[in-house]
Amino acid sequence: MTQDFRIDGGLIDRSRRVRFTWNGVDMFGHPGDTLASALLANGKRLVGRSFKYHRPRGIFSAGPEEPNALTQVGRGAAQEPNTRATVQELYDGLYATSQNHRGPLEFDLMSVTDLMAPFFGAGFYYKTFMWPAKLWEKLYEPAIRASAGLGRLSGLPDPDSYDHGYLHCDILIIGAGPAGLSAALAAGRAGARVILADEDFLFGGRLNAETYEVDGHAGATWATTATAELAAMPNVRIMPRTTAYGAFDHGIYGALERKTDHLPEARGKPRQVLWRIYSKRAILAAGATERGIAFGNNDRPGVMLSGAVRAYANRWGVAPGKKLAILTNNDDGWRTARDLKAKGVQIATIVDTRSDVAHTLDQTDIRTGTAIADVTGRKGVTGIVLESGYRIEADCLAVSGGWSPNVHLTCHQRGRPTWRDDIAAFVPGADLPTGMTIAGAANGAMTLAAALHEGHTKGAEIAADLGHSNAPGAPAKAEDEPFAITPFWHVTKSTKRAWVDLQNDVTTKDIKLSQQEGFHSVEHLKRYTTLGMATDQGKTSNVLGLAIMAEATGKTIAETGTTIFRPPYTPVPIGAFAGRARGKDFRPFRLTPSHDWATEQGATFVEAGMWLRAQWFARDGEKGWRDSVDREVEMTRNGVGICDVTTLGKIDVQGKDAAEFLNRVYANPFLKLPVGKVRYGLMLREDGIVYDDGTTARLSETHFVMTTTTANAVLVFRNLEFARQCLWPDLDVHLISTTDGWAQFAVAGPKSRALSSKVVDDLDLSNDGFPFMACAECTVFGGTPARLFRISFSGELAYEIAVPARFGDAMIRALMQVGEEFDAVPYGTEALSVMRIEKGHVAGNELTGQTTALMMGLDGMVSKKKDAIGTLMSRREEMVRDDGMRLVGLRPVDRSVNLNAGAHFLTKGDPADMAHDQGWMTSVAYSPELKHSIGLGYLKRGTERMGEIIHAYDPVRGKDTEVEVVSSHHIDPEGERQRG
Amino acid sequence: MASIRLQAKPVLDVNIEIGGVRIRERDDLALVSVAGATSLDWLEMPTPTMSTEAGDMRAISIAQDQVMLIFQHRTPDAERVVRKRLNDGYTTDQTDVWVVLEVEGPYVRDGLERICPLDLHPEEFSIGSAARTVMEHMGAMIVRTGTDRFLLLSARSSAKSFLHAVETSFKNVA
Repeated sequence: MTQDFRIDGGLIDRSRRVRFTWNGVDMFGHPGDTLASALLANGKRLVGRSFKYHRPRGIFSAGPEEPNALTQVGRGAAQEPNTRATVQELYDGLYATSQNHRGPLEFDLMSVTDLMAPFFGAGFYYKTFMWPAKLWEKLYEPAIRASAGLGRLSGLPDPDSYDHGYLHCDILIIGAGPAGLSAALAAGRAGARVILADEDFLFGGRLNAETYEVDGHAGATWATTATAELAAMPNVRIMPRTTAYGAFDHGIYGALERKTDHLPEARGKPRQVLWRIYSKRAILAAGATERGIAFGNNDRPGVMLSGAVRAYANRWGVAPGKKLAILTNNDDGWRTARDLKAKGVQIATIVDTRSDVAHTLDQTDIRTGTAIADVTGRKGVTGIVLESGYRIEADCLAVSGGWSPNVHLTCHQRGRPTWRDDIAAFVPGADLPTGMTIAGAANGAMTLAAALHEGHTKGAEIAADLGHSNAPGAPAKAEDEPFAITPFWHVTKSTKRAWVDLQNDVTTKDIKLSQQEGFHSVEHLKRYTTLGMATDQGKTSNVLGLAIMAEATGKTIAETGTTIFRPPYTPVPIGAFAGRARGKDFRPFRLTPSHDWATEQGATFVEAGMWLRAQWFARDGEKGWRDSVDREVEMTRNGVGICDVTTLGKIDVQGKDAAEFLNRVYANPFLKLPVGKVRYGLMLREDGIVYDDGTTARLSETHFVMTTTTANAVLVFRNLEFARQCLWPDLDVHLISTTDGWAQFAVAGPKSRALSSKVVDDLDLSNDGFPFMACAECTVFGGTPARLFRISFSGELAYEIAVPARFGDAMIRALMQVGEEFDAVPYGTEALSVMRIEKGHVAGNELTGQTTALMMGLDGMVSKKKDAIGTLMSRREEMVRDDGMRLVGLRPVDRSVNLNAGAHFLTKGDPADMAHDQGWMTSVAYSPELKHSIGLGYLKRGTERMGEIIHAYDPVRGKDTEVEVVSSHHIDPEGERQRG
Repeated sequence: MASIRLQAKPVLDVNIEIGGVRIRERDDLALVSVAGATSLDWLEMPTPTMSTEAGDMRAISIAQDQVMLIFQHRTPDAERVVRKRLNDGYTTDQTDVWVVLEVEGPYVRDGLERICPLDLHPEEFSIGSAARTVMEHMGAMIVRTGTDRFLLLSARSSAKSFLHAVETSFKNVA
């Protein structure tokens, strides 16, 4: 393709060509081009189809506000839908396609919807697809979704990577236009730490798009010089391609930096970085966005914003047309006419809706006090029709309806902008996010001189306020260009559809319909018509839409107000929010000290919170997990088994009052626990419900080691810290977590004493020397410091041996080596669970946060002789009912049947409904010792019902099993094994 | 079983360079917490943001009424060594609770700004500064020990995830 529309000038590098592909056709542009400027240079006016009616659409703007030119960039997994051509930098090999059409862009089959437009007004879907209701999900919604929508996702995992980061500064300046650059220069020179962020790849804002002079130089040149000065300051960080998308609490801003979107290859680096910027102050210098005017067929390709036409000509050296018509209600349109005329573009006509206009332009058709009623040409403008019916030939129409300050970020904490009649625009209200100041056009300072001055003054003031006293230098100077506007919103004489929101296909008629049907509030208007929704969030359409609504309701625009602006300012990919949190990096993993060894043994791991624990260790010939688990249980119960129990929470509790402290946090007594002893403890919430259990060992008068469940380690520590600092600050007690510090192994089974004796140095492990619930600090394997506890979760004779974690890997290998003689078996969490169910020990399934000590049969532990957290509340009437739930054991009447956790109990003969619910099965396992399935469960009056046959009813799995109520201690109810 | 002796193992055993930044595990350092001590004879008490140093020992404040001593010591008796020197207070060996990474290099802050939420500007986080924070969802401590050198402490059990996070940060900016 040739660049027929390229004209002289611009800030592009013509010495180099950048090749790209548009809808399969090879084209080229130059470094400095956007996809939009390159398409226009190549004469591409039709670039997409509209959302609802599939109308032909062209490039409308030259910035982030673009409603029309949404394209699909990239191929395969990397394809990115809804990319605004106006902000996509051109790079070698860029591959872009248009979107939202069936068949070729020029002959979209779906454009038939445009012919049926009279039926498709606002609210059409709501009104039409009401009945029959059941067709909605199966027919209507899929059909509507298939015909509407913007770009398409590849459906493949995103091959790019993303990152997050944190930045800090005194002053964050958002926008590097004249006001932002001036502010940054003043604050930077004064010595403040400044971050200057702009979404564009070239700093300067409108200076790059205009022909103004600053300090006697071309505006763009001044911007380059200013940027260079800032880049050289060590206290200033300049961040091009960075959009500050949200203003959050306490001066925190979200910003998206596009790192590699302008490069052919990401080269393994994150494509985008989502920054959290902590600022002491912020200056919003976000500029303003031009808006259109509504008239018939004002959406035709070639109808553009006036400032955009100027930007393409001045910055990119592109004339969007060869014969330009202009429609304006303010002085801006005249600037476009002058700039384009100076570049040799023919000006077909200037239509100014104002009657009293001071401007003139030689040899140019000028019409004042009138407007444009219609545009001819379907896939590109061929001419305009005035209100009088007079037609003028043109291939491009520049429209200026005035400029709206970019107040978005000022509203992110529910601030409301205020209306200013003199500039016919909303400006930031008084209620701003903490620390935010506004400068330049975003603040309603609509001329260049005012923006430069305001930026400089505010930058200097804030820097001084923060204690930076170096000289801020003099503000840059420029002429004040004329800026006068008489609001003009829409051409009432148009008989054709006049478009307000190009992205959502909202017309003036839709807004009037919304008003007629009672949706007067702007928030209702938005939701009824979809005005201001989707990727552009109505940047060019909001004010126009609510002005028309105001007119329809007879209110002022100030009274009508705006919808609330929320983050993000422009779209942020979900991938950027996710950052690195993908796949296996979604969250950290915690590994036990024996993890490497367990991996070598072929362990299957299970996630327990963030921990990975060995679930079982399969051996050759085993057909499934049950084979492995049964073997591990049997070998442990008949010999000795070893299990890594490092994951249990461990808290060092020290201090003169440590015993008193524990006595207050555990429901059972701890005050008189002797040194060298361990006690099982039950912790209640303040409401009396059990929330954690575990053993606590007393190592000295002032030193205890508490263990918690794996799941509650952090919660218990936090609650203890609260109790220590807030409830009883007078107690001398100190806490620190040691969970990760000790590699702890359970050694369980009748041969555990024999094995442990070969491990532990110089300690009498006989039943008298080291009885059940004894503990000691000792050494193992000839001098390695260790702790030994005689505690048992399996119900067997058992020990837990802990060594500093650095020895954990050596310890498991040594234990297994010593254990060979005893045929020791490593067992995982599944065997651990089987054994605790056989023994009737409660675990997470029973400690649901809704269960009491009484329900578990542990009410004897809740001491009546002392007060502890939750004790009093655990005695509330409803919690001590005689007919309440009690923990029982269950076994199937037909021993060959497997039980299922979650089944509900029913008394024999009762119907299966909630009124007759008798409780539920909490845990089940196959007992290798008993050779049948066993269960634990809560049953109403359970303790009184031993021997009763009830139903375990499980409609989810379609099962109804007769079970017998038995003791929860399926094996060794007297505890002879563990005490032996 | 006199023949078996347990050998200590570093959790990561890492010593690598990425883009001019060296990342290495400091398994030669012992960590001992001291709670409830009014003063230390040989070392000034640290404040919540600033550590103190004397000889090869550094103290950082880690909680209300609690400091952490960091010093070179390889054998598992660090707690006893500290306890002997104390007049009052309670000690807990924390060496094995943490993994300690040292990161050093001229671009060290460029990588750290991808995971550390704190302001590490040389003037804001002067040499000796210490803080508790969170990095990539993992609780962490950071101490500035030199011009371009930091100690990063995080839980030993998630050491591999922590190293991955640190490595990724430096790779992303290298």
